[in-house]
Amino acid sequence: MGNKQTIFTDEQLDAYQDCTFFTRKEILRLHGRYHELAPHLVPMDYTNEPDVTIPLALIVSMPELNENPFRNRIVESFSEDGAGNLSFNDFVDMFSVLSETAPRELKAIYAFKIYDFNVDNFLCKEDLEKTLNKLTREELSPEEVTLVCEKAIEEADLDGDSKLSFADFENMITRAPDFLSTFHIRI
Amino acid sequence: MSHYNNTGEYNNPAYHDSDTLEIDRSPSRKSQSHHSNPHGNPYPRDDGAGGQRGRSDLQQLPGGVQSSYDDAQERVPWGGWQEGSWRGRDSIPMGLLPPRSESPRWQQHDLNHSGYQIDQATHYDTTPPVRLPSATSGHVSMRFRGSRKMSLFPVGEAALGNLGLSEDDIRNEMENEEQHLVKELVAMSTRDRIKAIRDLPMSFDDKKHIRGQVLALKSFKKSRHLNCFSDCSTTVSLAFRRCGANMTLARQTLELWRGTMKEVGGKFGTGVLSYFKFLKWLLMFNIFSFLVNFGFITIPQLIYHPTPDIPTGVSFKGLEILTGAGYFSHTVMYYGGYSNKTQGTGGWPEYNMQLAYFFTIAAYMVLCGAALIYSMASSFRKKYVLADSGLGGAWQLLCSWDFSVTNERAVRQRKNNLRIQLKESLSEKFQVALLPLTERLKHYGVFLGTWLLSTGMALGCGASVYFLCQYDTWRTRQSADKASGSLLEEAATLLLPFVVSLINLVVPLFYSLFKKIEHYSNPRMQVYAIIVRNVILKMSILGILCYYWMKDVANTFSCWESIVGQALYRLVIVDFLFIMLGSFFGEFLSNVIGTKCIQSLGVPEFDVARNVLDLIYAQTLAWIGIYFSPLLPVIQIIKFFILFYLKKVSLTQNCQPPRRAGRAAQMQTIFIAILFFPSFVGALSMVAYTVWTISNCHVSPDPSPSLPPSDNCGPFRGLNTTFSAIQIWMDDLNGVDGFQWIVWIYQHVIRSEIFYFLVSLIILVFIYIFRQITQGRKLLIILLRQQIVNEGKDKAFLLEKLQTLQKSKQNKQKKKKQARKRQENESSTGMLQALLARQRLEQEHGDSSSFGVPMPSGHSVSTTSSALMQAMLARQYAEDQDVASYRGVPFPADPAPASSSALIQAMQARQRAESQNEDEFYRAPVQSQNPVNALPSAMIQVMQARQRVESEQEEDEFYRAPVHSEHPVSSTSSAMMQVMQARLRAEEESEFYRAPASSQHPDVSGTGSALIQAMLARQQVEEEYGDRY
Repeated sequence: MGNKQTIFTDEQLDAYQDCTFFTRKEILRLHGRYHELAPHLVPMDYTNEPDVTIPLALIVSMPELNENPFRNRIVESFSEDGAGNLSFNDFVDMFSVLSETAPRELKAIYAFKIYDFNVDNFLCKEDLEKTLNKLTREELSPEEVTLVCEKAIEEADLDGDSKLSFADFENMITRAPDFLSTFHIRI
Repeated sequence: MSHYNNTGEYNNPAYHDSDTLEIDRSPSRKSQSHHSNPHGNPYPRDDGAGGQRGRSDLQQLPGGVQSSYDDAQERVPWGGWQEGSWRGRDSIPMGLLPPRSESPRWQQHDLNHSGYQIDQATHYDTTPPVRLPSATSGHVSMRFRGSRKMSLFPVGEAALGNLGLSEDDIRNEMENEEQHLVKELVAMSTRDRIKAIRDLPMSFDDKKHIRGQVLALKSFKKSRHLNCFSDCSTTVSLAFRRCGANMTLARQTLELWRGTMKEVGGKFGTGVLSYFKFLKWLLMFNIFSFLVNFGFITIPQLIYHPTPDIPTGVSFKGLEILTGAGYFSHTVMYYGGYSNKTQGTGGWPEYNMQLAYFFTIAAYMVLCGAALIYSMASSFRKKYVLADSGLGGAWQLLCSWDFSVTNERAVRQRKNNLRIQLKESLSEKFQVALLPLTERLKHYGVFLGTWLLSTGMALGCGASVYFLCQYDTWRTRQSADKASGSLLEEAATLLLPFVVSLINLVVPLFYSLFKKIEHYSNPRMQVYAIIVRNVILKMSILGILCYYWMKDVANTFSCWESIVGQALYRLVIVDFLFIMLGSFFGEFLSNVIGTKCIQSLGVPEFDVARNVLDLIYAQTLAWIGIYFSPLLPVIQIIKFFILFYLKKVSLTQNCQPPRRAGRAAQMQTIFIAILFFPSFVGALSMVAYTVWTISNCHVSPDPSPSLPPSDNCGPFRGLNTTFSAIQIWMDDLNGVDGFQWIVWIYQHVIRSEIFYFLVSLIILVFIYIFRQITQGRKLLIILLRQQIVNEGKDKAFLLEKLQTLQKSKQNKQKKKKQARKRQENESSTGMLQALLARQRLEQEHGDSSSFGVPMPSGHSVSTTSSALMQAMLARQYAEDQDVASYRGVPFPADPAPASSSALIQAMQARQRAESQNEDEFYRAPVQSQNPVNALPSAMIQVMQARQRVESEQEEDEFYRAPVHSEHPVSSTSSAMMQVMQARLRAEEESEFYRAPASSQHPDVSGTGSALIQAMLARQQVEEEYGDRY
């Protein structure tokens, strides 16, 4: 705590506290983790808000993300440029949404983005198939994959357009209370 | 669009239509820039194919520009409302989207203009200087970030109104919305505002921006009417906020086992973690209870009586740690160790031990109850009520993955489990056939048998415990007579807790065997059945024990509260030992057996349900014991603390995560409910019975219903009931001035039946009212859900109708093919005339024509619409001049609002294009730019209009609507559409005269290029005709 002044100003920390679900200490810890990822790139002093980004490859090497089947999608969804380069603010954003205290609505929005592989704002069959393959190590036969995906769409699709819009997805999320606890990465 | 057909990728028009409609539900402001204009649609189509090559070639040119567009669009169909608006990612989608999106229209005015230049100069081969939209659009979107909240789920009509928006308009609107948001935020209280800002689905930078604005606005407002009070309140609120933040910080610093929790969650997932969370939660209860009891009861006792009154001959032998008897029974550990005196007469403030004891226990119980009810209610609200068991596959696919799992092996295992579950669910799906009656009867018979057996076992265990208790009493009397306090005697007291714990260990294992013969359709039902059986067992044993303590012990022993306290102490300790042994033998041995001896058994799973039930049982003991042994929470704390590490080690060493990723949240709710209902309520009623029961042993000789505090030990000695301590206090207070109100409350509220009667009546009324409200809401939810489904059906219906209309139209067109050929000739003549007329017009009138239209050639056309209007007016002029057999565009006569008429025209144009392209392939009528999707009425309108148009066409092929000129120029798009139609006709002609310069603009992208190509195409036609003439 002694060196916190050298990393962030009080105003910055206030802003972080007001805009994310983290406390000062956690922000500082996050900064430590971020710094750890690329010590030569990331300065310790963030008072003048340096414009530094860390590429996707380094971010996904974090132990928290390393084994996650959706790691690339997570990082991409939170990066400003969409290619997976995260600035520190994006980094904080990511773990803020994935923290325990983030509300369901917020989590749902980002989860939808993560599952939406082709970025068309719908979870279509293609997205679900990709998701399923990531979740099952691609060991299901193509017919099974198709069947499961069709079943999933059929269950969750309310408006009958045979793909899941955000409304469908959110509706499903509200009926699956586990989501809140599972869409959560401890940092 | 036509290129979709080329590749033949999408055969189902409904797919794309629905796409269109769906996407328009969220035309964020950003996406307005992508596809707000429905009339931009036909441009890319012609741009791609018809405009330059002629429709007959459509199928033959999948390469080049065409296919690259297709690829792009398959990958990134329409940018993204989220992406675009939130993160400025539209640079990518937009870059890949050139032909469809008219996006940065405002930025390409110069481009349109350049198109005109080329038009005039007839340089077909010159590639227009197209600026790639990606470069600019990304820029724009970056500027407009920070409006994520509004752009998330915007309403459909926003797009309708924005047809002709310029960059400034859009920017203004965004700023307006942002201002609106800021204003909303300023109006909130500080806490709400922070919460609202946190919940905004924006990136941190945007939130910070908004926050900065809000703070600035706030301070500005404040500075206007600054006064002392507001200044003070700001300072105070700031101080409070800082304080709150520090509290959170302190709480986090004190947070136990953060790292361990993370590790467990990473390896075993949320389900197993919930056990540890539950353990921690219970530990908190006990720490709180310890603090309260120790602070308010034990410390005063120790201050005034630092050394316990231990009779001579009793010394600490070591076995007390297990039995709790002997030495301990004379200390502050138990009820008997407390005095009944009012302490501190000499100078010290008075401290009434009786009242302290009573109020501490009461307050603790009330607080515990409140905390339990609160957490139970919130858990039910959040996790249980909304849960729907109907979601199988979708849930497994999208919600079940545990993001907190970080261990490689665990991830692999989870993937395997999920795969197996999915396969199971698939196979279940195929054999849903109903079982025959005999099978079902057999199942019911098995259920009945197992339930009878389990209940019978629970009752049998209870009865055996009762007899053992009576034996225990008899034995204690014997030993009391002999008055020999040997170790063996003491150890014999452990028999009862040993048997009870053994029952608790063995019988649940026996219950779990039942699942081999039972066939529950749902695995969760099985878990529930096991839980219910275990709860029945544990509660029947505890109930019997309580009965025994109340009935027998209370009337047998002199200081019976301490005896009960000792019994509870023993139960807690032995239960702890058994849990330890259980995890060692149960988990460690079965791990060894599973890995070394019998491979088929495999590594044991961590049974969350059984372990949590053990915890609940332990906590029940602690709650019952709170009155009899105020320091029992200390033992409980130690127990839970050790248990945490023990279970963690056992888990990581011996167990594997549970196979079924059950619904952990629901299970947690159920556990809290069990902790509340049989456990806490049972303990509370036990304690309340002890405290309140009116003793009538002085009145009647029958001692059975009496439960007086013991006469010669404990704080309440000599009283009829514990509660009479309050009575005595009130009597004391009665004489003192200033405390009359307490007495009054006591007399009229606490002791009056009418008060409780009224309170319960009011509560009942409220319950009834809320129940009715709940029923109403349930109905509402059903209705709303139905509405969503209905809207989906509506959409599907409309789309289907649209398709059938298109098909019928195509058929009609076929029939009229020959007839039309001739007319087309005529119309193309008209077209030619129109164009010629325009050229003439341009030559004649120079810059400032009589129409006030800036001439296209070499002049900077300021806006797209004016450029288009120019073309329109030119044609108009031509029409006026040569009232020949030019077949005008049959417009619907009704003056529909600009947007819908534009839409209708768009439909017509598309219709026409399709009919022209004939039915070699099945078309996907995609119109992503339609702003209408949320407005099925608009769709209907369009279709009606088109139907009308069609009928009109049938009746009068030469029907001519004198449109255009009287139309206000407000709608750019309608004008554009007209140009389109004109051009389409031109294309029809150009089919016969192949355009030579069609493929020279492969890199054209964006609207501007579409326009350019349109112009070029027309130019070509002009030329062709010119040659002919």
